[in-house]
Amino acid sequence: MIDSFLYIALPYLAIVVCVIGSIYRIRSRSFTYSALSSQFLESKSLIWGSLPWHIGITVILLAHIVAFLCPSCWQNLMSHSQVLLAVESTGIALSIVSLLGLLVLLVRRVTSPKIQSVTTTMDLVILFLLIFQVALGLDMAMRVHWGAFWAAGTTSPYVWSILTLQPDASYVAEMPLSVRAHILCAWLIVLLIPFSRLIHIFAAPFDYLLREPEIVVWTNPRRIESATETYEAQESKRHFVTGLWLIAAGAFLFSLGTVQNIFKFFFGPRLSQKEEEEIMEIRLKRLQATAEQRKLELEREASDYILVAPLSELTKTTGKYFIDYEMHAALAFVDDDGLPNLLSAKCTHLGCTVGNQVNGEGKIECPCHVSYFDIHTGVPSAGSPAKEPLPLLGWVLMDRQGKVLASQSPAGKRTGNVSADSLKEANVYIAKKDKEATT
Amino acid sequence: MDIRAQVAMVFHLDKCIGCHTCSVSCKNVWTDRPGAEYMWWNNVETKPGTGYPTLWEDQGHYKGGWKVNGNGSGNGNGKKLSLRSQNKLDAFIKLFYNPNQPGLEDYYEPWTYKYQDLFDAPAGDDQPTAIAISQVTGEPMAIEAGPNWDDDLSGTTLYAENDVNLEGLSDEERDQLFEIQRVSMFYLPRICNHCANPSCVASCPSGALYKRGEDGIVLINQEVCKGWRACVAACPYKKIYYNWKTGKSEKCILCYPKLETGQIPNCFHSCVGRIRYLGVLLYDADRVADAMTVNDRALVESQRSILCDPYDPKVVELAKANGISDEFIDAAQKSPVYKYVMKWKLALPLHIEYRTMPMLFYVPPLLPVMGKLDNGRYENIMDGFFTSLEQSRLPMKYLAKMFSAGNEEIIESVMKKLMAVRYYKRSLELDDLDLVSISRMMREGNLTPEEAEEIYALTALPTTYDRYVLPPIQREEAISGTCSPELCKGECGLSFSESAKRGL
Repeated sequence: MIDSFLYIALPYLAIVVCVIGSIYRIRSRSFTYSALSSQFLESKSLIWGSLPWHIGITVILLAHIVAFLCPSCWQNLMSHSQVLLAVESTGIALSIVSLLGLLVLLVRRVTSPKIQSVTTTMDLVILFLLIFQVALGLDMAMRVHWGAFWAAGTTSPYVWSILTLQPDASYVAEMPLSVRAHILCAWLIVLLIPFSRLIHIFAAPFDYLLREPEIVVWTNPRRIESATETYEAQESKRHFVTGLWLIAAGAFLFSLGTVQNIFKFFFGPRLSQKEEEEIMEIRLKRLQATAEQRKLELEREASDYILVAPLSELTKTTGKYFIDYEMHAALAFVDDDGLPNLLSAKCTHLGCTVGNQVNGEGKIECPCHVSYFDIHTGVPSAGSPAKEPLPLLGWVLMDRQGKVLASQSPAGKRTGNVSADSLKEANVYIAKKDKEATT
Repeated sequence: MDIRAQVAMVFHLDKCIGCHTCSVSCKNVWTDRPGAEYMWWNNVETKPGTGYPTLWEDQGHYKGGWKVNGNGSGNGNGKKLSLRSQNKLDAFIKLFYNPNQPGLEDYYEPWTYKYQDLFDAPAGDDQPTAIAISQVTGEPMAIEAGPNWDDDLSGTTLYAENDVNLEGLSDEERDQLFEIQRVSMFYLPRICNHCANPSCVASCPSGALYKRGEDGIVLINQEVCKGWRACVAACPYKKIYYNWKTGKSEKCILCYPKLETGQIPNCFHSCVGRIRYLGVLLYDADRVADAMTVNDRALVESQRSILCDPYDPKVVELAKANGISDEFIDAAQKSPVYKYVMKWKLALPLHIEYRTMPMLFYVPPLLPVMGKLDNGRYENIMDGFFTSLEQSRLPMKYLAKMFSAGNEEIIESVMKKLMAVRYYKRSLELDDLDLVSISRMMREGNLTPEEAEEIYALTALPTTYDRYVLPPIQREEAISGTCSPELCKGECGLSFSESAKRGL
C-alpha cells in the first residue's frame, strides 16, 4: 500500500505538477524563469562549486536518461565487461566530483553574508535534497555494485511502466533501501522543479548554437507595408508548429502502451486455437499460483509450525526449497550429525533466489550476480556482490504424533536430545517467531 | 545597401565640467531600485584614471568586444570578427561560471546610513552618528570604494597611474603627465554607446538583447533574460550591469520612453555644461561587420565610410525604400551629430579598437597650454600657434589610445581644427593676430571661415533644439506595460510592470 503511494501515486503527482507548473511558470512568470546567479556577489569559491557540480551532474543525468529510454541498447553496451567497468568508475568519479561541488556550494551559501541575502528557503531545501540524492547514488554505486548493468533490467522497466500508464511498483519493491530512497528522492526533485531555481534546467540555450550574431527588432510597420502581418503570420505558424510538436510528443509518450496494443490487435500475429489455449492455461496457472500463495500466507498466519519436510528427505548436496514465515524462499539441508540446517534463500544483494546445489566447497550460488554463500554460516565468500550473510533459520523436530523432539533457534541455541532411531521418523518444522522462544 | 537610422550622440569633452548632474538624474529615475543601487548607467570618469568598474578598459582581463580572425588586410578580405569573450561552444561552460566577469568589488558595495540612530540615540557626551549599512547584506560595513571614488584624483599613483591608456607612453611622458604642478585631467561621461556592431547582442545565449531597427537603441528584454551575464563580459565598455536581486542584466535604455514621447533623455536634458548632442545618423548596415575588420589605425576612417550623407539623393531614396520616414530623414539632415562626426570630423568614437562601432562620439579635449604661469605671471605662448599642441599637457598618444585606436594623426587634425576655430574667433574679437598666421592656421586646420562660424555657433551658442534634434520615434511595443517612472519610483522603472521581486 505504502509502495503504491510512494512509487506510483507520487511519480504521477510529480510528473503532472512538474509539467503543468513548469509550463505555467515559463509562459506566465517568465521573469522568474532562471536560476538567480550569485557570481556577481561572490566568485572565488563559486568556480570550485558550480563548475564541478554542473558538469558532473549533466553527464550523470544524461547516462540515466539513455539507460531509461533505451534499456536494451544500454544493456548491450554494458554487457562488455570493460565498458561496464569504465562506465561504473566514471560514474563514481563524477558523482564524487559533483558531491564535492555541492558541498562547496552549500558552505558558500551558508557562510557568505552577501549570498545569504539572496538565498531563499527553497534554495536550501533543493541544495540539501540534491546532496542527499547524490550521496545515495554514490552509496549505491559503492555497495550494490554494477548498477549500470542491473538497472536496465529493474529500474528501467519501472520507469517505462510509469511512462506507459501501466504502473508496476513491484519492480522496485524488493530493492535495497538505498535504491528505493534514491528513486523516491528523484520523484521529489521532479515535483519541486517548478517551485524552485531548478526550473533553469529547461532554459539551456541551444538556440544560441544556430542563431545569427545580431538581433534587430522592428516595431515600425512602415518599413515593409505588411511587416506586421508577415510577422504575425509567421508567429502563429511558429506557435502552430510548436503546438503540434508538443501534442505529438505528448501523444507519443502517454499512449505508447495503448498504441502498442492497438497495433498488435490489428497487425500483430494471430493466435491459433492452441496458442490461445496455452495463454489461458498460463493465466489459470498464474491465478492458481496467486491462490496458492494466499493459502500459504493464511496457513502461516494460522499455525505455529509449518512442515518443511520429513528429515529423511533432506540431503547434504541438494537443498530443499520451502517458504518461510516471511513468505520468502528458504533452503533446507541436513548436516553431518543428521540434524537439519535451514537458511534463507533470498540473496542479500538484490533479492534473487539462491540456487540449491551445493558445490565442492560447501557453498551455494546466487545465479543473478554470482554470489557464493556458505550453507552452514550463510556468509558470502570474498568478492561476491552480496556483502551481508544469508540469515540462518531455526527449526523444530517433531515425531509423527506431534511431540517436539528437539529444536534450534535462529541464533543456534539447541534444546532437546534425539536418538538416531527417533530421527528416522522425525519431521522438520519451522516455528512462528513468538513460538521459537518457548520451544 | 541597407540604410538604417541610428539615434547617435556627441559629447563635447571641452565643455564637460564634471558635475555628475547627468549621473544623478539618470540614477534618480532608473536605478534607485533594490539590486540596482550600484549601477550607474551614466557615469562620469576622471581621465587619466581607472574608471568604473575599475580598469574596465583592460580587455586582457575582461575580454570584451570583437577580435579579427583570418588573414589578409583591408576591407572584407576573408577577415571575420569573433567575440573575444566566448565562442559558441565554450559559452555553454561559461553559463556555470564566467571567468571574465566584474564582481561587486570591481564596482563598489552600495550602502546607506542608519539615520534613525541620529534620532534614537540616548543623550550622551558624544554626537550621535549614523553608521554605514550595506545595501546588499543590511549589515554595518566599512566603506572601501564608492561611486566616483577617484573623482579628480588624476595626480594619484593609486588610480591615474594604473590607467590602461598610458600603455606605450615613455617614462618621460609619464613624468610630464603626473608632474604635480602641471597635472592635468579631463572628464569622460559615459553611457551605453548603442553600438552599430554590438558584441553584447551577439553574446547573449538566450537572445534577450536586441537592437531596435528604427532607432538603433540596444535593449534587454527582461522577460527573456536568464541572467547568464555573457553580455556583461562581452560589452567592452562594461555598460551592462547585473541586477543581483532580480537576476537580470540591465543597461542604459537611452530613456526610450521619453524619446518616444518627444522628450529629451534625462542625462542629456540635465547636462549643465551643455556638452551633449543627440541626432540621427544614417548608416549602411550591410557593411558594418566588414568595416570593423580593418587595421586598428584605419578603424575611425572605416566607420566614417559607412555613415551616409543624408543629403545624397541616392541615400534618401534607399532610406525611404527601407521604410525610414520623411521625418526621420529630415532629422538626419538637421542632425548636429552628423555635423560633428562627418562634416567637421571633430567627434571620434571611444575605443573603436574594440570594434563594436560605438554610436556615441566624443570631441576630444584640447587641454590647451595657451599660456603658463611664470614667476607668478601668466604668459601667453603665442609663437608658432601649434607649438602649444606639441607641448600639450596630455600627450597626443594618450588621447589617440582612447579616441582613434592609436592613430595620432587623426587626433592632431581634430586638435588643429579646434584650435583654429578659437584663434579665428579671437582674431575677430580682439584683432591681435596678423592675417597671414591666421590663414596659415586655418589652412593647417583644414577650416574655412564659414565652417568656423558654424562650429562656433553649435559649440558655444546652441539652444536646446539645436543640440537635440529628435525624430518622431515609434513606440516600443512593451511600453504599454511600463509603469510611469514617477509613479513606481524606487520599484521597477524598467520595461516591465513587475517590481524587482522574484518570489521563487
